[in-house]
Amino acid sequence: MAKLHLAEVTYAYSEEPVVRALTLSLESGRFYGVVGPNGAGKSTLLKLMDGYIRPQQGVVYLNGRDLRSYSLAQLAREIALIPQTSYYFPFTVEEMVLLGRTPFYSRWGAPSARDRRIAQASMEITGVAQLAGRLVSDLSGGERQRVTLARAFAQETKVLLLDEPTNHLDLEHQISTCRLLKERSRQGVTVVAVLHDLNLAASFCDHIFVLDQGRLVQEGQPGEVFTPELIAQVFRVEVPTLRHPLTGRPIIAP
Amino acid sequence: MRRVLRRVGGALFLLFTAAVVATALGSVNIPLAHVLGILAARLPGLGELIEPGWSPAHEVIVLRVRLPRVLLALVVGGGLSVAGVLFQGSLRNPLADPYVIGVSAGASLGAAVGLLLVIPRGIVGYGFLPLFAFAGAVLATLAVSRLGQRRGRLEPTSLLLAGVALGAFLTAVVSLLMVLRIENLQDVYLWLMGSLSGRTWSHVSMAAPYVFLGLALALWLAKDLNVYLLGEEAAHSLGIDVQRVQRLVLLIGSLMAAACVAVSGVIGFVGLMVPHALRLIVGAEHRRLVFHSLWAGAVFLLLADTLARTVFSPLEIPVGIITAFVGGPFFIYLLKRGSDFHG
Repeated sequence: MAKLHLAEVTYAYSEEPVVRALTLSLESGRFYGVVGPNGAGKSTLLKLMDGYIRPQQGVVYLNGRDLRSYSLAQLAREIALIPQTSYYFPFTVEEMVLLGRTPFYSRWGAPSARDRRIAQASMEITGVAQLAGRLVSDLSGGERQRVTLARAFAQETKVLLLDEPTNHLDLEHQISTCRLLKERSRQGVTVVAVLHDLNLAASFCDHIFVLDQGRLVQEGQPGEVFTPELIAQVFRVEVPTLRHPLTGRPIIAP
Repeated sequence: MRRVLRRVGGALFLLFTAAVVATALGSVNIPLAHVLGILAARLPGLGELIEPGWSPAHEVIVLRVRLPRVLLALVVGGGLSVAGVLFQGSLRNPLADPYVIGVSAGASLGAAVGLLLVIPRGIVGYGFLPLFAFAGAVLATLAVSRLGQRRGRLEPTSLLLAGVALGAFLTAVVSLLMVLRIENLQDVYLWLMGSLSGRTWSHVSMAAPYVFLGLALALWLAKDLNVYLLGEEAAHSLGIDVQRVQRLVLLIGSLMAAACVAVSGVIGFVGLMVPHALRLIVGAEHRRLVFHSLWAGAVFLLLADTLARTVFSPLEIPVGIITAFVGGPFFIYLLKRGSDFHG
């Protein structure tokens, strides 16, 4: 059974649909990349998978069950989302990461020792443990992004959705973020990331979905998907693709 | 738990001390011991044991004049500050204050209508003034939250713009009324400046329930507000019903602010400055922020009002002038030294 399955999903903010009759299946333990030009419906797709918006037609299934039959609290234990824009307030890094544990304790309660252990572990994995007492609002862009990642990890969900997680990051942090996501997927998590950098997607993702104008144009392994023909068709630009001499994965070389 | 009790105890002690000292001060200074004695004599069981060593005039001043005013300053100061926390949180904007979404403009129009059109005709008395202001505030808030919706969702930017636009419109109506009806002009003018002068127990009992209820609900929603700060999509994915929280928080904040404005007029800066300053000091975690803003706002307004009635005694200056006078420079100092909200 697929972890997440979209069946003929259509969504429109106003009249013109941004996602059109989209059908796709995602398995556990894989790292999925969603690519496509601006306005292709990538962010909308993530919001549909997260249940933030509901399809006007079609159904999103999580573990074979209609997403709509989950309560908000149940969903929060199943799916974590890192949206494109985050806001940073004077929370300490530790407080911020602990917010990822909010689905697991009550309104009047406080994070338990276990919650704190999980938050600590997430901070160590993402390399922000030494910043625990600092204010998020005082950190650099790259550090904030890793704190946000730690928060999503602390949520310990089986599905992790990320909208452009490598935006505004330098090369080192782009690569370390993708490595972390890959590692996460190897532990059984379904990772779905919207990526603008096709080379990052080609290097790290197991499976690519190519969207254009709300439709799924192509899907498959990076080697099958990233051909000059497809890139010309979808991105309206002629670029050659090469093969990485060590990994054999495609390199898009404009 | 023990730490929480210690903090609450500390805050209550501070509030009590401030209230007693402020009650003692005034055009006639009353010894602290007498103030404590007058208060203790009212306690059931304790009252018979105390020998009154004070003049009956002092007792009247304490119980009828100063105490209600002191308590009202605490209630309004705390209420405006907590409302400020709620507005700044739910709009994710540090410049939001209890008045942004039209509360004060609505209250002003309500008060102006009362003072200029209804009360002079003898239809109802001055005692009804807070009700006019409260009704105006609530109506304006409802209108703004209607206008601030896009695609059925409340949106912070739209809300702010709608609040500013409606505020300007209603203020123009108030000015027009003032120009056309000049008989009670001074009343309206004083009300608009904000003052706690001459307030009675009935004002306290009108505002206090809203402030206490609002405080309880603010603490109840603190966890949701923390998550809400992350942004709507992130908050949703952490299990928060974003729209519900936003509506509730705006409703609670508006009612608190409306109740405060209705009894005291427009007292600026408290609801903007206190939460902002406290956020720099204790951070953005809302349970802490609400608690500290409550006592700090209460003490701040009490201090300001005590200054307002003692500095140029027997002349009184509207407390709003003091809050702005103290608040402006302090605010600039804080902005220069610390960071607050970052998008």
